[in-house]
Amino acid sequence: MKLMVTFDREGVQDANIANAILKSGVPVNVERAQIDGDDGWTLLDVADDKAEMFIAALRHPGVEVRIQKDAVSHNITECVDCGLCISICQKQVFSFDDSWQLQVNSERCVLCGRCATYCPQRALSLQK
Amino acid sequence: MYKSIDDINERIRDGSVRVVTAEEMPDIVDELGVSGALREVDVVTTGTFGAMCSSGAFLNFGHSEIPIRMEKMWLNGVEAYAGIAAVDCYIGATQESITKGIEYGGAHVIEDLIAGKAVELRARGKGTDCYPRQSITNEFTLADLNQAIMLNPRNSYQCYNAATNMTNRPIKTYMGYLLPGHRNITYSGAGALSPLPNDPTFSVIGSGTPIFLGGANGTVVGEGTQHSPGAGFGTLMTTGDIKEMSLEYIRAATMTGYGVTMYVGVGVPIPLLNEDIVKHTAVRDEDLVTSIVDYGTQFRDRPVVKKVTYQELKSGSVEIDGEEIKTSPLSSYKKAREVANELKARIENGSFLMASATRPINAVKKNRPMSEHGVVRRVSEMMVATFVTITGEKSVKEAATLLLKANTNHLPVIDAENRLTGIVTTFDISKAFARDEEDRSVSNIMTRNVITAVPDEPVDLAARRLLQHNIGALVVVDPAKKVLGMLNSQDLGDLVGERWHQ
Repeated sequence: MKLMVTFDREGVQDANIANAILKSGVPVNVERAQIDGDDGWTLLDVADDKAEMFIAALRHPGVEVRIQKDAVSHNITECVDCGLCISICQKQVFSFDDSWQLQVNSERCVLCGRCATYCPQRALSLQK
Repeated sequence: MYKSIDDINERIRDGSVRVVTAEEMPDIVDELGVSGALREVDVVTTGTFGAMCSSGAFLNFGHSEIPIRMEKMWLNGVEAYAGIAAVDCYIGATQESITKGIEYGGAHVIEDLIAGKAVELRARGKGTDCYPRQSITNEFTLADLNQAIMLNPRNSYQCYNAATNMTNRPIKTYMGYLLPGHRNITYSGAGALSPLPNDPTFSVIGSGTPIFLGGANGTVVGEGTQHSPGAGFGTLMTTGDIKEMSLEYIRAATMTGYGVTMYVGVGVPIPLLNEDIVKHTAVRDEDLVTSIVDYGTQFRDRPVVKKVTYQELKSGSVEIDGEEIKTSPLSSYKKAREVANELKARIENGSFLMASATRPINAVKKNRPMSEHGVVRRVSEMMVATFVTITGEKSVKEAATLLLKANTNHLPVIDAENRLTGIVTTFDISKAFARDEEDRSVSNIMTRNVITAVPDEPVDLAARRLLQHNIGALVVVDPAKKVLGMLNSQDLGDLVGERWHQ
């Protein structure tokens, strides 16, 4: 699953993610990160069965962890099911079902935002 | 066996007509044979729903008290063509708002009208004896207009190229966002459900053919612009009453980085009059071939990367160079089905009748490129052939002296074989001094990724590259990377100035 980790001014000072990996022994994949001197966020991918252990190890003042679920918001009134988003997204968030209706698997999203930028109907947006 | 249009209309009126969609037809022909299918089925309905830039509408506003001849006109800030009598305009789908750019355009004005929203009209005229007024600002809705007639110069392509991008930078096209290194493929059209592949010889589709357009019962005007059935790219000019249209089948859209376009739903019924027509409507996606072309090239004739069928495109991936590349449509197959099914329902319930075409559409014609008589300026004509170069082991000071002496800002760096290895600009040298670089050799401070041009490319392409990279000069090189000259932005500026003065 994907974890959205945000750091406040205090949280960015320490090697919190590295420490949590060492402490828990759980490998994680850093999918995106934006961190500067004041604050920041990072999107981590972690195996479902290890997530709880990792979250516990990551708990620290200045660090907030949230399970990322509905990253892509899909406005089905605006969407015409063209499917242009499907090949633009390299993370397989989008697909067609048998009736050529667009399906959105938000859990795979790494928040690159390309789908939202290039949707001709402006029917997709990101929720960070 | 033959059927006439009258026979079919009789059956539509008495409720016994048998209509199927183009998707269902191939299996019926397989099962019953061509003559059996002709006996069983009367009409095949087709459908497509995709981005059709070449669309727009004629609007008539009626006369204001103190009449005005509107010569320039804006609808919600989108310019409409008002060079038609006094109170008419043509609003093109791709025209962009003067304030909102590509987020709002002619297609959005049409969408807002169909939605019943008020649209702001601003117009100017010079003022004449019969039309004394010089300007007007007003609000109107679709109901206020005398006519709102959609007239789309080019709809419903018989077939369209699929797109990929072979270059190493992403590009934003009317075929959507194309990732670098051919990492995605986009395509348009509903394949075997599309209207024209079901009548490629134009034996039933012609001027006056009744069609489904954007939710209204519309008409084929005749061949569309750029109609090229001889190359498999036939098109239709279509018309219909916007007052009968629905947002289910007309949608404004924006292709980011390209512009505004309009998604249009078009459905054409094919009355089955004889066995030849039945054979054509038995077409399947695997019978329809199109080309994947490289949209990365900026020339008109784009290289074909691969030939594919619609079946392959619709499968979700196509193999290129041993790699599975994801495909995605930009037209909606789900909506195309809705169009074909809605048209089927209208025929079955008797609200849509067949008619013979009043004039045939040419089925073999080929589209021609523009016949250009102006001179295309090449880089070789504009480049400066007297230039200075330096080698990498020279000092920054020597580079600075050379730049001053030659009165230039750009110094190509070459190796012992005269091949380009980098470029040093006055900015690089200032930076080196400001940072007190210890290794003050040219190779240490030069930019290695040099943006270049080739002598025989049109200057317009080179000028766009200067803009894209925000630089002042391009190094002109031959295939062996030997420096032939420099193309400076000042020289291009002179060229543009010259054009305007002509």
